[in-house]
Amino acid sequence: MNNEVVIKCENISKTFPTADGTAFDVIADFSIEVNKNEFVVLIGPGQCGKTTLINIIAGLEEATSGIVTVGGELVTEPDPKIGVVYQETNLFPWLTVMGNVEFGPKAQGESKASRQERAQKYIDLVGLTGFENQHPNKLSGGMQQRVGIARVYTNEPLVLLLDEPFGHLDAQTRYLMEEELEKIWRQERRTVLFVTNNLEEAIFLADRIVLMTNCPSTVKQEYIIDLPRPRDITSREFLKIREEISKNLDLTS
Amino acid sequence: MATSNNIKKKKTKPAIISEDQITKKQSTLYAFISFAVVVVLWQLAVLFLPNFGNIFPGPYDVVALMIKIVKEPVGRLTLFAHLGWTLKRIFIGYIIGAVIGVITGLAMGTSKLANAIISPVFEILRPIPAIAWVPMAILWFGLGEASKYFIIGFSTFVICALNSIAGARATSEKLKGAARMLGASERQLFSKIILPSSVPQIFAGLQISLSASCSTILAAEMVRSEEGAGWLILRGMNTGNMTLVLVGLIVISVTGLILATVMRAIERKAISWSFRGK
Amino acid sequence: MKLSKMKKKNNKVKYILISIISFTVFLIIWYMVTDVFKLVKPISLPSPVKVLESFINKFTVKRPDGSTLQAHVLSSLRIVLTGYIAGSIVGVPLGIFMAWNRKADMFIRPVFDWFRSVPGMGWIPVMILIFGINIASKAAIVFAISFVAILINSYSGIKNTNPVHMWVAQTFGASNKQLLFRVAIPSALPHIFTGLRQGLNQAWASVVAAEMIGSNRGLGYMIQMNRENSRADLIIVGMLSIGLVGTILSFVLQKFEDKYVRGRH
Ligand SMILES: Nc1ncnc2c1ncn2[C@@H]1O[C@H](COP(=O)(O)OP(=O)(O)O)[C@@H](O)[C@H]1O
Ligand SMILES: [Mg+2]
Repeated sequence: MNNEVVIKCENISKTFPTADGTAFDVIADFSIEVNKNEFVVLIGPGQCGKTTLINIIAGLEEATSGIVTVGGELVTEPDPKIGVVYQETNLFPWLTVMGNVEFGPKAQGESKASRQERAQKYIDLVGLTGFENQHPNKLSGGMQQRVGIARVYTNEPLVLLLDEPFGHLDAQTRYLMEEELEKIWRQERRTVLFVTNNLEEAIFLADRIVLMTNCPSTVKQEYIIDLPRPRDITSREFLKIREEISKNLDLTS
Repeated sequence: MATSNNIKKKKTKPAIISEDQITKKQSTLYAFISFAVVVVLWQLAVLFLPNFGNIFPGPYDVVALMIKIVKEPVGRLTLFAHLGWTLKRIFIGYIIGAVIGVITGLAMGTSKLANAIISPVFEILRPIPAIAWVPMAILWFGLGEASKYFIIGFSTFVICALNSIAGARATSEKLKGAARMLGASERQLFSKIILPSSVPQIFAGLQISLSASCSTILAAEMVRSEEGAGWLILRGMNTGNMTLVLVGLIVISVTGLILATVMRAIERKAISWSFRGK
Repeated sequence: MKLSKMKKKNNKVKYILISIISFTVFLIIWYMVTDVFKLVKPISLPSPVKVLESFINKFTVKRPDGSTLQAHVLSSLRIVLTGYIAGSIVGVPLGIFMAWNRKADMFIRPVFDWFRSVPGMGWIPVMILIFGINIASKAAIVFAISFVAILINSYSGIKNTNPVHMWVAQTFGASNKQLLFRVAIPSALPHIFTGLRQGLNQAWASVVAAEMIGSNRGLGYMIQMNRENSRADLIIVGMLSIGLVGTILSFVLQKFEDKYVRGRH
């Protein structure tokens, strides 16, 4: 594995002011490094600041202290080199699937032929061929998430941040989407930071799992997962790792 | 499911959770029946209640007069020519007001600076009903057409501006974030996110102000005019011809309904993405 | 973080300053155009100084329209509140009833839809014919106009009751009456209040029209009369008063709503 560090968070802390005037520490002294083309899964209980952390890395929110660099540059605002797939999809409802997927390159002035060719490639890759001219409100939750993934891939970011992208899906669809995402990632290697609260999903996808503590959250432990891909969630090795981590994992909040 | 079925047997359920749906055919039928009942009651009241009949014409008289003035002029013009005048006034005032209103509203909703500059004067003018502008408009623009365009324009302006402000401000921060994440510039944020996501609210404003225009023009014409649906009503009042008043009312309300329907069709086309289903 | 908070506060101050400057510039331009360079005739646009003067004087001077400003305001308020309260008393229950009862809905709604398609101002001649030229006819115009908005919102408030809440209440054995008074009406309250607010705004706007025909007092009468007297300063005073009273009315209703409705949701 290539060991060039692409995402680097150093001693991130985040405090929100609360209504009664006291401070609420969400993240405390959180540090993490993600290497080039590595798939890192961040797992932690709900409301422990995972989305906040993703927003900080994406430049959508400011850390109270600490610094984030992506590709060696300090992150201060949203940047097309940092692609985000959100839990609540955040597709543009007035645009078609194609309109959503080509949004990034179009905003950056890429020619129609070249951007649509790439958009089509990723629409095909996520299995939405034939749905190019549909609006998001006609699509199921799983399909909307596929659009979100294609949209980010088409923008060719340096890193991908995925914040519980399958959290709203039913178990069946979720499992399917995990398989597809893993397949896409193997075809198109990217540096990925993936957030979840589902351990099985984490082990299925990750090169490395980072376990978060409860609020104020910080890194509790890391696990390298070196099972061969694609993984079989019913295999003995898989279940063994799962048991080992779950001893350490408290997903209640 | 089982419980709700049991309950259903015992008593009729409130309309909002009742499972049997009314078909379109049924509701048209009921609408027709109730409409017919009203017309018949009205005619009967005119025929058999002397007090009512003396001051109020029956539906037969109204329809008869309406048909008559399609051919024969009232004042200078026939019915459709009067309606034409009213429509022209509405359209010109409406379009001017809508364009200025939407632009102003989007500017105020998007830019804090624009909002800070415009809002003091806007907040003073906003609560003044369009009708209250009639005397001032006459002083400024005289008794002619311009004062009517101004009154309609003002009423449309305020409604469209308020809705556009609300639309622009309600733009989802998350969608703006997503657009920035994909590399949109500040200007593109406006044209590609704020503008399209405000469209439903802008249409709401266009719809409301169109209905308001029909009402406002009527009042404006009733205060001062020589033609138009409002003038028909005024003329009816001044000559004690209640039938003519009702003809004017029916003409303007049917026109309003038609305009609203057309507008809704345009709206459905323009923002099909925000309607679920089909 | 402290820094960014301070920046936000500074920004707020900055925008308030800009607003004040913008308004001052507006007044200065108005003053320049009228009093200094005399670009327009005072008969079409009096100077802001003159308007302010007339405004203050109007509290004591009855000329030329026969009443002081406060007398006009009170007269208009009387008409509006009469019509509006009547509109609320009829509109809210009728809206609830129509939404609750299938038969009522199917029979009354077509008539109501027809009724509401009549532009509000169109009621003027009808009401004058029925009631004559007096406070009753004017209040009736206000009634007809405010009643529509009030009814529609109560209706859609009830129609929008979350059916899940109804099902839950049903499984606990609630009767239809309990469903209505414990579930549907409370959850429709914000809608009902929206209707009451819209109704009040429209009621206030309509009084101007109502008074333009056959009155001898009221703000609508005042501005109409002063056009005939060519007193633009008093027209503007009248218009500003209409705006101001309208704002105060919606403010009071909003406060009432905040206190009695929002707190419970
Ligand atoms: N803008 C904010 N202001 C105040 N508190 C916030 C804000 N954003 C998030 N929080 C709080 O921070 C905590 C962590 O939120 P989040 O990052 O969404 O957690 P997760 O994604 O792990 O579920 C929550 O308790 C939330 O209420
Ligand atoms: Mg989250």
